[in-house]
Amino acid sequence: MSKIGWKENRTVYTFLRPEGRIKNKILWKENVVAYTFLGPALLLLSMFLVIPSIMSVYYAFTDYYLLTPNMRTFVGLDNFINLFQDPIFLKSLVNTLEFVVWVIPLQIGAALGLALLLNKQRKANTFFKVAYFSPVVMSLVVISVLWLYLLNPNEGIINNVLTYFGISAQPFLTSPKQAIFTIVVVSAWQGAGFQMLIFLAGLQNIPGDVYEAAQLDGMNKWQRFIYITLPLLKPTSIFIFITTLIGAFKLLVQPMVMTQGGPVNSTMTVVYYIYQTGFTDRMVGYASSIALLFGTIIGLVTITQRKLVKEDED
Amino acid sequence: MRRKFGPLTILEYICLVLLAVLFIFPLFWMVASSMKPEAEIYNNMSNIKAFLPSFHPSDWFVSYNQVLLRFHLLVYIGNSLFYGLCVAVGSIIINGMAGYAFAKLNFSGKKVLFGLLLAILIVPFETILISQFTIIHSIGLVDTRLAVILPTLAGAFNIYLFRNFFMAIPTEIIESAKLDGANTWQVFWRVMLPMSKPAVATVGTLAFIGSWNDYIWPLMVLTDKSKFPIQVAITAINSTDPVYTNQVMAVLTISTVPLIIIYIVAQRYILEGIGGSGTGIK
Amino acid sequence: MKKWLVVSISLLLMFAAVGCSKSESVNSDGKKTITMWVHISDDNEEGKVYKKRVEAFNKKYSSDNIKAKIEFIPRSGNGGGYEDKVNAALTTSTLPDVITLDGPNTAAYAKSGVIAPLDEYVKDQEDLLPSIKQQGTYKDKLYAIGVSESSVGIYYNKRMLQEAGVDLNTLPTVDNPWTWDQFLALCKTLKEKYDKPAIDMQLQSKDEMLTYALTPFVWSADGDIISKDGKKADGVFNKKTTVEAMTFIQTMLKEGYTTRTPVKQAFETEKYSMKFSGVWTVTDMKTNYPKVDYGVMPYPVSPKTKKLVSPSGSWQFAMTQTSENKEWAAKLVDWMTNKDSNVELSRTIGALPVRYSSEKVMVKEFSVQMNVFLKQLKETGHARPVTPAYPQVTRAFQQTIDDISFYDQNKDIQKVLDTHAKEMQSAIDKAN
Repeated sequence: MSKIGWKENRTVYTFLRPEGRIKNKILWKENVVAYTFLGPALLLLSMFLVIPSIMSVYYAFTDYYLLTPNMRTFVGLDNFINLFQDPIFLKSLVNTLEFVVWVIPLQIGAALGLALLLNKQRKANTFFKVAYFSPVVMSLVVISVLWLYLLNPNEGIINNVLTYFGISAQPFLTSPKQAIFTIVVVSAWQGAGFQMLIFLAGLQNIPGDVYEAAQLDGMNKWQRFIYITLPLLKPTSIFIFITTLIGAFKLLVQPMVMTQGGPVNSTMTVVYYIYQTGFTDRMVGYASSIALLFGTIIGLVTITQRKLVKEDED
Repeated sequence: MRRKFGPLTILEYICLVLLAVLFIFPLFWMVASSMKPEAEIYNNMSNIKAFLPSFHPSDWFVSYNQVLLRFHLLVYIGNSLFYGLCVAVGSIIINGMAGYAFAKLNFSGKKVLFGLLLAILIVPFETILISQFTIIHSIGLVDTRLAVILPTLAGAFNIYLFRNFFMAIPTEIIESAKLDGANTWQVFWRVMLPMSKPAVATVGTLAFIGSWNDYIWPLMVLTDKSKFPIQVAITAINSTDPVYTNQVMAVLTISTVPLIIIYIVAQRYILEGIGGSGTGIK
Repeated sequence: MKKWLVVSISLLLMFAAVGCSKSESVNSDGKKTITMWVHISDDNEEGKVYKKRVEAFNKKYSSDNIKAKIEFIPRSGNGGGYEDKVNAALTTSTLPDVITLDGPNTAAYAKSGVIAPLDEYVKDQEDLLPSIKQQGTYKDKLYAIGVSESSVGIYYNKRMLQEAGVDLNTLPTVDNPWTWDQFLALCKTLKEKYDKPAIDMQLQSKDEMLTYALTPFVWSADGDIISKDGKKADGVFNKKTTVEAMTFIQTMLKEGYTTRTPVKQAFETEKYSMKFSGVWTVTDMKTNYPKVDYGVMPYPVSPKTKKLVSPSGSWQFAMTQTSENKEWAAKLVDWMTNKDSNVELSRTIGALPVRYSSEKVMVKEFSVQMNVFLKQLKETGHARPVTPAYPQVTRAFQQTIDDISFYDQNKDIQKVLDTHAKEMQSAIDKAN
């Protein structure tokens, strides 16, 4: 039962998409029932996410210093004016975008590739799935520490393997040019297992008869992939794209553990900078203004992306 | 339709195995390093021995012994299990209920609330820690286990996931249950949840992993060390000079193994669970 | 219907049980409690000593209407966790009576009124080592006392030096340190002999270790990070003296005597012959690498001034402004850092003492290596700059090191210093 064929699924969706357009009068009683169901979640979300976020929005317009919480004053747009003159913030914005631009195709591509490989009946599939998924289960801090050892430019295992194959040793995380790409690769490696599973489920929801029909029509493997698999995977891909995108924008732990934002600020990301200004430098007001601006940027990107995809579909 | 063992199949298996090695080797390194003396870890760093435990089996569990002597690990693990289970069960019920409302019930303000839910996905948690703490403090929960559990129960991603899963369940099933005299809660509890075991498994496992790996929040709200979770112990081991790498690896192994086991148990369900949502979301 | 009732009721009960298990209420015997937070776990040696000392405190003052309580909040590597908790407690005015804080935080905490001056209560300050007083003092008032002291020196592998033809008797001592040039010459010998970096200077650790361990070179050249009154960095940090110190560090890198990418534990596993590290490495060597025969030498000094300066600093105890029992809180701070506490801690974890009185005891018990650190600290220890803008100042310093270590891109050290001196200055201006 839990396997949902793509066809029903799509119908359900086109049927439900105009949620807002349900014109029927909503009964008072229906509201009571629905809000009872929503109640616990809404209460907890507002207490621990919405209210703190609103507080942060307010802090963005104050000079809140972490050690003197009762002495904050309203400073208007000062924080934002400083923000646009702050070279490290601008650099962190560029770095984050660079990270996002590289990691999205790499991670999603890797995930899709793995899913395609596993999309077959095989006895050992469980083992492979567990193997590919294991970095997702391990804590990010653990992963980052391990890679730090492995990527040591002098005696790290990775460089030993490279030199074995005749490639000269690379500086990786210690080079301003390579550091961000190294983090891209480690992040993609770490997260791909999760997206792989989503793709895999999407793939397994494609009914076998569609392929058989296509085979009868004389399509080869590649054509089937392009004309059947990819289009039918679209809803899955959109979901993956959105969640991976938001996740990538929030990159923090890997640079924090592996490079502390260096060398020469080349891996300073926005969320890391928020953390640094807010907690290390104790400028909560300033950090909140970065968070607000950055949240707006991610929001806009997500909305645009959703709009684009929808128009494309209609 | 299954092909016999051909060259292509062999190639495929080679690929699969190589990739498995690529993904799993840090795990092996972690376990192997926990089973050898400190100096060996660094001396082995540059060759294959890095992935093998010490050649003297008597060395294997020394670091585990030391760690268990130094820290009350069992208490910490017990606490972590408790938090993890509470968070898992709680998230399933609370997010399931909300997901059900979004998927199958009509109410005013649905669209606005749903938009808000998406917006919440964007909030970087690290930036609102202190405000969250002020709230826990104002409701008088500081240094209680509830303070660790409550804030992690409701999650936008999980509601989203349940919603998409429930949407795919045909309305006719709900209607027929209602004709049999079931009320809305019974429909949710007896029809929707049992029909969505994969979603339940996914949310439960993700919630458990998240809770298991959390460090800063529990430390912030707890002062009584008998309530500390395992991550606090890991941090303590990792930042007390001198740091013994083999002991660090031993603790990490101890803390990772339960997660792997839970994943293996739940993986069949998880796969379907994520898939159910993945195919649906636009 | 029944099933869900059972489940939800048991859930409720469970939560209720959780809710009730609050930590013990006030005091059964009606005594006032002074609470103290420390940044480490009581699972390790340091924590155990604190616990013991608090028990001793309670015993000593058992006839008074007071009881001290200690709570352990292990910090993470970068000080996170514990400091986050202190900050959170600050916003809700729930700080305990006594807290621990890292040395460089003194100024910020004192300026913001988080911690209160101790002078009124702690009379015997002459016994404290100068570096400890320097670290805990803000605007001429003593706010905090170090739990222990620390220092950095150069660990060397005796066998490897001898095999490279170095006569160990000619090595420098605290009374007779080497200049940078002499040290470079030693590195050259070792580099040529082993074809590997001579020393791991921990330049890869982009954290407080850089500031802590490398500022003594600047001080030795008669330079400084910020001015004595804490108001100026521009015009201080970018003086010629800093250029000299930075040139020495850059030369070490350029000649390949040290590296930005050292092999992990290279000294401990006898790959490099020297390591620049803190006093804590002594314990590490004893437990994990007992076979390595090593010695310790002091910092090399600027050839111009010949002045030996070494780093110092540690976490400290302080009482909070919000404490309602200042007299007792201060007494506890004093107690936790008195001669007995100090000696016990030094014995247990191999840390350096903070008082002359305990130093006299420890000097007889310490190993040769530890005594090099002790002597260097006592005679030449220098605390890090005391300024509320310390987080930004130290980061600017770390970035300076980061920048100059890319020597082919940053040949002009003066320019690098100017940039970062301006960053420091603007942070200082904002903070004051």
